[in-house]
Amino acid sequence: MTLAFDRLRKEYGQVVAIDDVTASFAPGLIHGVIGPNGAGKSTLINMTAGSYTVSSGSIVLDGKRLDRLKKYQIANSGVARTYQNIRLFDQMTALENLEVCFYPTDVGGTWKEVLWPPYASSRRDRRREKCMEILRFFDLQGHADAEAGSLPYGRQRMLEIARALVCNPRVLLLDEPAAGLNHHETAELTARLAAQRSPDRITIIVEHDMDLVMALCDNIIVMHHGKLLFQGTPAEVQASTDVQLAYLGTANDIDDIRAAAQDRRAQLGIRTRRRS
Amino acid sequence: MSVAETLAAVRPRSSRAVAFLVFAIAIALIAATPFLPNYYIRVIDSLLIYILLGIGLNIVIGYTGLLDLGFVAFYAVGAYSYALLASPQLGLHLPFLLILLVAACLGAITGILLGIPVLRLRGDYLAIVTLGFGEIVRIIINNLDWLTGGPKGIARLDKASILGIQIARPVDFFWLLLVVVLLAGLVAWRLERSILGKAWAAIREDQDAARGIGINTTNAKLAAFATSATIGSIAGAIFGASQRFVSPESFTLQESVLIVLMIVVGGIGNILGIVAGAAILILLPEVLREFAEWRILFLGLLMIFLIIVRPAGIVPRSFGPDKLIRRLIGK
Repeated sequence: MTLAFDRLRKEYGQVVAIDDVTASFAPGLIHGVIGPNGAGKSTLINMTAGSYTVSSGSIVLDGKRLDRLKKYQIANSGVARTYQNIRLFDQMTALENLEVCFYPTDVGGTWKEVLWPPYASSRRDRRREKCMEILRFFDLQGHADAEAGSLPYGRQRMLEIARALVCNPRVLLLDEPAAGLNHHETAELTARLAAQRSPDRITIIVEHDMDLVMALCDNIIVMHHGKLLFQGTPAEVQASTDVQLAYLGTANDIDDIRAAAQDRRAQLGIRTRRRS
Repeated sequence: MSVAETLAAVRPRSSRAVAFLVFAIAIALIAATPFLPNYYIRVIDSLLIYILLGIGLNIVIGYTGLLDLGFVAFYAVGAYSYALLASPQLGLHLPFLLILLVAACLGAITGILLGIPVLRLRGDYLAIVTLGFGEIVRIIINNLDWLTGGPKGIARLDKASILGIQIARPVDFFWLLLVVVLLAGLVAWRLERSILGKAWAAIREDQDAARGIGINTTNAKLAAFATSATIGSIAGAIFGASQRFVSPESFTLQESVLIVLMIVVGGIGNILGIVAGAAILILLPEVLREFAEWRILFLGLLMIFLIIVRPAGIVPRSFGPDKLIRRLIGK
């Protein structure tokens, strides 16, 4: 059982953003999606999570069609995601940001929570215990009662990943998790993402930071002009002349690819910092 | 007002004393009210009705972050429920508690009916559509002469009574309203702290991300609209019973705006703030009755002053009822 794209397509009028991509993602592995700007990497994530509609083709998770479901239904099918520009619930505390993720399972007991305080506090305690566990995993326990919007940028990135992980999702989609992080923070992120690996989880990372991708991913998909250009292990991707051509236009070595990616990452970092 | 202001501005050291002070003043006011002349009790009754309306509307505006400018429609639904079911108009004379229940249900239904078409909208667009809805309800009432008496309204409503105890004097309504306000406040506050309340907050902060974590935003928003409308409708029924006369004049856009202002001035998303906001906006015009031609100007200046000095409201969101209680028991 896997997550599989079958001839997945996304069109905006005449423009084809995703051009018949067929791929499957095995559980237990971390899958990287790389490619030049505009290759359609984020579009893949957004379609999988239900943020964008699918023009044609299908997305199937464990035998269940996802592409016809609404975004919240996809989330409830076990797909969790983070966003390229962090989207936390800024005026809620870090703890509440995770706690609210239990809405789908706990909403049925709302009136009981309102009318019977002991039930409410036992429910809340149970939720918060799970949340604190994840916060501790990301070393955020000290920020539990701080407003999410007031956290430093790097902590916000971590908190968003924590929010995605709190309900133990089957599929974890990360859209440029290292954007705007410094070297130290990126190393921390790499370690934590490696540690969250579990045999049942399908992790997909869209990222420009080649160090992170090469260190973390078991399988890499290279996108180019909306098409799946290449798929393989990090070593195979580094050796592929097709990939080098797609990135740089000429046959060149991986160091140049890395330099180009770093440059782009730095720009993105400045932009996101200014926004926050 | 000054109490609430100091309350929000105090240092933690003296905060427990201030919390006690607020509590003591509240108890003293409640205890003193029955001994005031009827005129003052009526003013306090109307203050309590506005607090009730504020608690209701705050669920949609403060908790869920949807600007609803048509709240007065639910107030009207409640008031006309009482007027039609307990007056010679249709010859019906149902008991007060039963009507309260009917009004609550009708309120919830209207809330959901309004909610379904407008849920796709946000921000200004939602405000305009709800504003239109409020006006539509008023205009329907104004023109449905055979049922509602049109602009003349419905007069000679029954005196309310609960389990044989007549509720007719202002002081009776004071006790009734006090109980209802406390209950509604408690329910609203516990709802905010429940998992549904957290989902409302998530929708307020980022609706799309809220969907991304599995929240069915349509259902959560409908729940907010329905609860809010129920409280508004109950307030309307009690208002009808206390006036024993209803007419479309009581349900103009100005009323909706006044309730929104109360929430904004007092502190969006905070029940304590609503009490403070209602106190200012309802009591001040009474206090300044002798300077009638100046009071709107004065109110305007006060609001500009408050918006500059306390943009988050007199009692900000962060100082909610939990904090007051925690201060009281000294934790």
